[in-house]
Amino acid sequence: MSHYILFHGRECPHCKKMMPLVDKLIAEEGAEIDQREVWHDEKNADLMRSYKDIIKAKCGGQLRVPTFLNAETNEVFCGEVEYEKLIKWIS
Amino acid sequence: MRKFWRCHVCNDIHYGIFPPELCPTCKVEFGYIEVSSQEARKIMSISETTMSKEDFVAAIHRFTKMREFNVNPDQERVEMLTGGVFTCEQSQGLKYCPCRMIERDFESDLSLICPCNFLQHDTYKDKPDGECWCGLFVKKETT
Ligand code: SF4
Repeated sequence: MSHYILFHGRECPHCKKMMPLVDKLIAEEGAEIDQREVWHDEKNADLMRSYKDIIKAKCGGQLRVPTFLNAETNEVFCGEVEYEKLIKWIS
Repeated sequence: MRKFWRCHVCNDIHYGIFPPELCPTCKVEFGYIEVSSQEARKIMSISETTMSKEDFVAAIHRFTKMREFNVNPDQERVEMLTGGVFTCEQSQGLKYCPCRMIERDFESDLSLICPCNFLQHDTYKDKPDGECWCGLFVKKETT
């Protein structure tokens, strides 16, 4: 399983905007991303909550979606970002 | 600690640290007495109200009327977000924010009920074109 985890919500407009960029990252960079929808899947929500302290420290004290996490280094960022930032995330 | 208060004239129920000085329903002054949560719930059980998605959208529009923000004019976004809010209500019992995740700490999760206190959000505060984290509410343009 990939240690690049994306937590997202089906009805979140920021996630909707980021999804094509994530697809591009997978198609063009061959990235392996573990995509976890959190509002329709309790297990995914629990997984997100298990990283609560790490995520909250970087995301305004909240569990915001989309959250991009490197579970190996605990690097985290949230919200709408440029494609370049996603490339840096997986490199 | 928050408690329940009942207007002795019209039985309005208030939940808060202090009772209102003026009853918003019958306008009596200093008419509230502290009651048990059991008594308050019993009185409130008289009214069973429901809220459809359309009712909610109408309510958030009314909510913005006298405030410094509007509901986002992007109807597709509003439709998506209200759909999410209602999905959360169906699965979790409250209209939680579809762009954030609850922590399973009931008291702190209350801050995620939509509309939340987004005036504190870094995406809203001190920004001329600020919006709530999800972009359901956007600051009114000041000309
Ligand atoms: S951020 Fe916006 S959509 Fe989310 S709960 Fe607050 S007001 Fe509602």
